[in-house]
Amino acid sequence: MVESAVRTSADWLRYITSLPGVPGQEDAVARELMKAFGTVADKVERDRMGSVYGWIHGVGKAPRPRALLAAHMDKIGFLVRAIEPGGYLRVTEVGGFDSRTLPGKEVMIHSRPPMVAVFATRPPHLQKKGEADRPIQLEDLYLDTGRGEGEVRRKVPVGTMVTLRQSPVQLLGDRLAAPGMDDRAGVVVLLRTLELLRSKRPSWDVVAVATVEEEFGVVCLGARTAAENLCPDLGIAIDVSHGDMPGARDGDTVPLGSGPALSIGGNIHPAILEALKASAKALSMPYRVEPCPTGSGTDAMDIQISSSGVPTAVVGIPCRYMHTGVETVEPRDVDRCAYLLAHYLSELSLEWRSVEVLK
Amino acid sequence: MSANGAPKFREDILEAISNAPGVSGGEEAIRNLLAEYARDKVDSLEVDPMGSLVARIDPTPARRKAGGRNGGRRGPHVMLCAHMDEVGIMVTAVEKEGRLRFRRVGGIDPRILPGQVFRVGAGGLRGVVGALPPHLTPRNERDRVTPADDLYLDIGARSREEAEERVPVGTYAVFDTTYEAWGTTRKGKAFDDRAGCAVLASLIQRRPPVPVTAVWSVQEEVGLRGATAAARRVQPDVAIVLEGTASGEAPGAPPDEQSPFMGKGPALTVHDRTLMVHARLLSRIEETAKRHKVPTQWKRPGVGGTDAGRIAISGAGVPSAVVSVVCRYIHAPAAYLDVRDAQRTVTLIWHTLETLRKEWP
Repeated sequence: MVESAVRTSADWLRYITSLPGVPGQEDAVARELMKAFGTVADKVERDRMGSVYGWIHGVGKAPRPRALLAAHMDKIGFLVRAIEPGGYLRVTEVGGFDSRTLPGKEVMIHSRPPMVAVFATRPPHLQKKGEADRPIQLEDLYLDTGRGEGEVRRKVPVGTMVTLRQSPVQLLGDRLAAPGMDDRAGVVVLLRTLELLRSKRPSWDVVAVATVEEEFGVVCLGARTAAENLCPDLGIAIDVSHGDMPGARDGDTVPLGSGPALSIGGNIHPAILEALKASAKALSMPYRVEPCPTGSGTDAMDIQISSSGVPTAVVGIPCRYMHTGVETVEPRDVDRCAYLLAHYLSELSLEWRSVEVLK
Repeated sequence: MSANGAPKFREDILEAISNAPGVSGGEEAIRNLLAEYARDKVDSLEVDPMGSLVARIDPTPARRKAGGRNGGRRGPHVMLCAHMDEVGIMVTAVEKEGRLRFRRVGGIDPRILPGQVFRVGAGGLRGVVGALPPHLTPRNERDRVTPADDLYLDIGARSREEAEERVPVGTYAVFDTTYEAWGTTRKGKAFDDRAGCAVLASLIQRRPPVPVTAVWSVQEEVGLRGATAAARRVQPDVAIVLEGTASGEAPGAPPDEQSPFMGKGPALTVHDRTLMVHARLLSRIEETAKRHKVPTQWKRPGVGGTDAGRIAISGAGVPSAVVSVVCRYIHAPAAYLDVRDAQRTVTLIWHTLETLRKEWP
C-alpha cells in the first residue's frame, strides 16, 4: 500500500471496491481498512462488532464534543447454500439483488484458495420455447466452478462468501463502475475527509467509522453499535444515492457529477442540513437536495435513534445501477463529499448542540 | 495430454483469439491474428470477398510444384472450416444523454444483458448495460424480462456529441471477458467458435497428409453465410466443420438432456437443424477415434446448426461432418471448455485425414 498522499479518490475506489466483505464477513476488508485509516487517522481501532474507527482529535478544549461519520464497509453478495451433484453450487443472497442482473456473471467464491465461478446459463440452442421470456429466480440459478464435485465439496463449505467478480471498469468522464461502490465509495469519502481534517483540525473530535452489516436488512448493526459506543453529538452517514437512469422517476435520482446529494426528511436534522448547504455555498460546490420522505435507508436511520437520540444527516454520492455489478460513480463527487464534510466539521463551533433549551 | 502423433493443440492461439473481438461482420481482429499463425505454414493465404480467411496447404511443397490444382494430389481435397465470428451487439443509435442503444448480433439470451460489461469497438472502450436498482423497481416489473430493445449501454458520456465522437453508430461490442485457466478448465468468451478456429490453426502448423483448404469463415452466427460462399470457392471433396458446441449439463436436468459433457472428448454430430452428417464420413471418424483411443461422444441430435449445413449442399454436394469441442455456456459472457478436448479434437481430425489419404471414398 502506497502513501495516501499520492492516492486519488479513483485509486482508492479501485482498491477498496476490490476487497471482499459481505455482511457478517467483513474481516478481510476491515484489516485493509485498518491499514488505510492508519495512513490518515490519529488513532485506529476496531470494535467488538467489527466496525473500524479512525479518530481525528479536535483542537477544542476537552471534553470535546464528538462527530460520528459512518459509511458501511459491507457489500452485498451471496453465501453458498448447497452443493448439488456435479459440484454445482446454490447460493442465497445477503443484501438485495435483482436476480435478473445475475445470469452469466462471474463470481469469486471466497474459499481457501478462492475459486472463480459463473452463474450458469442455458444457451439459446438448448432452451425450450418461451424459456427466455421468464426471468430466472435466484433459487433456480446455480454456480459452476468448472471443477470436479470432489474438489468443490472439499474446499467449499456451506456458508462460504461469494461476491460478484468484476474489476473496476473505467468509463468516459473519469467514471468508474464496480460492484460494491455501495458503500465503499462512502468509505473512500471517510478516508479523504480524515486526510483533509489532519491538516485543518476541527475543534470537535471526529470519528470516522467503517460500519459492518448495513446491508443485512434487519438493523444497520455496525452503525447502531458504534453510535452506542461513542455517544456522538452528531452523526452523518455517507452512502450512495441513486444516480440518473432511464426508467427512474424524477425526484428518485440525482445526476452523476452533480455533487453531494444532501438528504432532507425525518432522518435529517434541519440545522445540520442547513450548515452543510452553507458549506457547499462557501466552497462554490454544486449539490442537490434529495427528498427522503420515509427515511434515508442508511446508517443514519440507526444512529439517529441510538442512545438518547442523535442529530443526523446523510451525504450521498450519486451512483447509477445500485446493487448490480456495475455500480457507477464519478470520483469527482467523492472528492466533493470529502471537501464538504471537512469544511463543515472544521467550521463547527465547540458550542454547537442540537438540543434546544426553551426555558 | 499427449498429441498421439498429431500436432499439438496451441493453447496460446485459443487465448489470443478468445480475448480478441470479432462479432459477425466485424471479424478483422480475429482474421489478422489467425493469418499470422498461418502465414508461414501454408502454401497460399487469401481473404475472400466476404472476409473469410482461406489457406491452402498441400501434403508436401514438392508435390505442389508437380502441378495440378492441388499439386499432384493424393487423397481427397479436404475443407476444414471453423467460424471466426462471435455473438455480440451493435450500437444502433446514440441518445441525447449520451446513452447508446444497441441490437443483438446472433443468438443472445436477453436475460444475460442487464448489468453486463462490454468492450466497445476496436479501441476496447468499456460500456455497461444499465439496470434499474431493485430499490426503484416495481414488484411486478421483476417478474418480467426486460426486452433487449429497452436496454442501453452507458459509456460514461455526458452528451450525444461526446458519445458519437467515440462510438459511431454501427460499432460492434463484445463481452468483456478475459481468458483464464485452472485445472484442465479454460474460461473465456467466444469459445463458439474460437475453439474450432484454434483447433484448425493448430492442425495446419504441420503439413497435412492430404490437400487441405483451411477456411476460417465469417458470419456463421447470422445465418451460416461466410461458409456458403467459401465452399463454392474451395470446391472440396470432403468437408469437416470444427465447432465449439453446447453442453447440456445442468443440475437436475434429465440424463438425455445433459449430453454432451465437457471433458469427455470431441462431440460427433449425427444430425442437427441444418445437416444430416454424411454416414460414411462419420463412420470413418468414429473408426479413427477407436483406433487411436480418442474418446468421443454424441452431440445432442436435432438442435443447432453449423456451416456444414451449407457446405454439404454446395455445388454438386460435399460429404460433410461436424466435430466439436464441448463448451458450457456458449453465447454467454464466459464459457468453459476442457483443454484436453481441444487436443483430442486435433488428434482425431489429424488421424482422420491420414485415413482419408489411404482410402476415400
